Amino acid sequence: METQTFITGTGPTPTLVVVFLRGGADGLSLVAPLGDDQYHKARPRLGLKAATSVALDGFFGLAPQLSDLEPMWKDGELAIIHGAGSEDQTRSHFEAQDLMEHGGLAGGGWLGRYLRARSHGPSGALSCIALGRALPESLLGAPGATVMQSLDDFSLGESAMGVREQLRALYAQEGDSLKSAAHDTFEALGRIETMRATPYRAEHGAEYADDGFGQGLRQIARLIKAGVGLEAASIDLDGWDSHFTQETLLNPLLTRLGKGLAAFRRDLGRAMDRTVVVVMTEFGRRVRENSAFGTDHGRGSVMFVAGGGVRGGRVIGPWPGLGDSSLEGPGDLPVLNNYRNVLAPVLLWHGMAPGNLGTVFPDFQVTGLDLFA
Amino acid sequence: MNYSRRNFLATGASAAAVVLTSGCGEMRSLGTRWRGSTAGPLPEDLTPPGSPLLDETSHLLNRLTFGPRPGEWARVRSMGAGAFIDEQLAPEKLDDHACDRMIRRLEVLHLPPGELYEYKEKYVLEQMTRGTILRAVASRRQLHEVMVDFWTDHFNIDPSKGDCRWLKAADDREVVRRHALGKFSDLLRASALSPAMLWYLDGRVNRRDRDTDRPNENYARELMELHTLGVHGGYTQQDVMEVARCLTGWTVRDRKELRKGRVSFEPKRHDDGAKVVLGEPIPAGLGAADLDRVLDLVVRHPSTARHLATKLCQRFIADEPPAAAVDHVAQTFTRSTGDIRATLRSVFATEAFQSSQGGKLKRPLHFVVSALRATNAETDGAQPVIESLLRMGHAPFRYPTPDGYPEAATHWTSTLLWRWNFAVGLSAGKLQGTRIVLKELRDRLGDDGLMATCYGRQPNASEQRAFHASGDGLALLLASPAFQRC
Repeated sequence: METQTFITGTGPTPTLVVVFLRGGADGLSLVAPLGDDQYHKARPRLGLKAATSVALDGFFGLAPQLSDLEPMWKDGELAIIHGAGSEDQTRSHFEAQDLMEHGGLAGGGWLGRYLRARSHGPSGALSCIALGRALPESLLGAPGATVMQSLDDFSLGESAMGVREQLRALYAQEGDSLKSAAHDTFEALGRIETMRATPYRAEHGAEYADDGFGQGLRQIARLIKAGVGLEAASIDLDGWDSHFTQETLLNPLLTRLGKGLAAFRRDLGRAMDRTVVVVMTEFGRRVRENSAFGTDHGRGSVMFVAGGGVRGGRVIGPWPGLGDSSLEGPGDLPVLNNYRNVLAPVLLWHGMAPGNLGTVFPDFQVTGLDLFA
Repeated sequence: MNYSRRNFLATGASAAAVVLTSGCGEMRSLGTRWRGSTAGPLPEDLTPPGSPLLDETSHLLNRLTFGPRPGEWARVRSMGAGAFIDEQLAPEKLDDHACDRMIRRLEVLHLPPGELYEYKEKYVLEQMTRGTILRAVASRRQLHEVMVDFWTDHFNIDPSKGDCRWLKAADDREVVRRHALGKFSDLLRASALSPAMLWYLDGRVNRRDRDTDRPNENYARELMELHTLGVHGGYTQQDVMEVARCLTGWTVRDRKELRKGRVSFEPKRHDDGAKVVLGEPIPAGLGAADLDRVLDLVVRHPSTARHLATKLCQRFIADEPPAAAVDHVAQTFTRSTGDIRATLRSVFATEAFQSSQGGKLKRPLHFVVSALRATNAETDGAQPVIESLLRMGHAPFRYPTPDGYPEAATHWTSTLLWRWNFAVGLSAGKLQGTRIVLKELRDRLGDDGLMATCYGRQPNASEQRAFHASGDGLALLLASPAFQRC
């Protein structure tokens, strides 16, 4: 039975981790076009400076608080997509997040529909989790998606040991798929209990920060390494709506993002080869800074795609420049890479049949970016 | 500041006391007032099944209902199989006021589509879901509820798309529930003109304003692929485009119209040229009547009878039903011009149905509801139960694509953890809003009687042993393999 390989194997379950930066993250402050004069004119106070940024490719530079991502970039495992976003024009957080998480005007979320459409059959108890308190819209419709705050959720409770033993005896007498389902369930329970009983130590010197984001990534890494068949995990990093005093707001978030992803990669080691992390946000921000040292809702932002199989070390454009003629509406970087053209190759790499593209992203002609080696 | 939608909603809920629209806070307080509704008084005759194998009565209760309540086996056995099928096929004659009274409190289930917009979407979804769970547990019209479940999947609409978040509640009432045991053609027509369906499958934007406009094929395709002929039913891409042309102009104009419960036909947006659908010419100039011609053609198509017969046999007989049974049911469907009651009667009359005891796996909703029914549980059907179903991947109104939750066991045998978790939680009284008072039941039935009531047959020696050795007999019973089957 196929679930077997997920639960018991160090098998080839690839894992997709989706990080959503809620509030509309300023792509131009994550990855700045340092070689574009218009950038410095539009952002005299907030713009990143070449001297303090992490040089990427001679044109773009990474925010200094993201410097922990530099090794990932240098090793070619981090691709940055600029001008990324959706076709939503409302510049409303809710509308834009909904559209992006649903993957268009459709029922359920893009990740939920994808996991439903997956061809390999049923999935295990821990195949799809959302770290936090509620299921994100992207996971709506996923088979057995579980919102997880702690591993204690995956338990029958201490008092049920007798029930468990007797169930083991009864299910062993079964002859059909119930027998193997029960076997897999006991196997998963055993692994989770071992995990709970053993204090987790991150490997390879990885150090997670003590914030919710770092700890969430730590849980995800732990589940991936335990081989419980984790196919998809979702985690949010909130608070990117930087209308005023942007730096005080963004700097700690950038640090959390950079340190978190770097620790995650280090901790996973070779397991990163079968993991892909996608970082996305609902929209970017106005190119010109406002009078309150902030930026207002815009359009294009950045997406990150990171993982062992990624053909990274590249900022994927095109870059239109930030001159007035290139901007859209009230002065926004246009969306030149629809988020679906980033997600589609990720899902194909993950094992999606190309025939399912229409189900996952209805009413959209996908022209996927070339993201994987 | 936190800008995720769910946090926004959570904040909204705290302010709900002052406005009509209310969020979770309101629902919780409703939950505490929810008492004694789904747990009926126990009947006088609680005689449990006495055979070591599932008999005809238990088989009927497994397949035509969401599982037997205590005493139901005795009632059905004494009335006889034929009379029970008759009773369940005539739900309008069954007094269901206890269930109705309970459902009356879920106000969104009773409002015209336009007024649903007054409510927060999460509130609508939660009330709809509760309504479905509570009716499955408490309604005496069990086969009707089973068929509502069937058609809800067949004409699946995910409320998370666009305005479906409000309109699905009306679709559930006016389309699925109203026609669940009626004529298939009426059901199909109601679905085609359901505001929620016009939203879900984009019919509302299928129009021809200019000669260059191409029709939106979404509904036309699913109409034939899922709702009628089936994917290999013999239609072509050309047919899809022609059907889409026939349906141009039907739309949901605005919320004011919806308040009157109306969808609109806009002649100026209709492609009024001649069409050919499934080999039949449809002359130019019929306007809105194109719709009826199309529906008539697809309903009468032999592939439709076969497609529906197959799905009904998969639901009621086996995941892979024998061809002879499907043929027989398809013939009845055709002969009765799509009479759902007659068709069901023919399913239950097949040799294959009568010899398929215990061969199907309960889908999670069936499992959860059957556990609540067998234990005479009192439940508010609220968040903790919904949460359990979500984890099992089978909460009502949460399926994203038009094909509806799958039927076959292979989709539902991933992990049993959440089923077991539910059994343990229910038995231990840890499911907030749900309560079991087992004492009277156990006193009157004894352990073996309780097991037989749940299993629909006498327990075997290993089941008895496991029950007593487990330390929590009820949890063991509900989590055991035999209780997963039907």
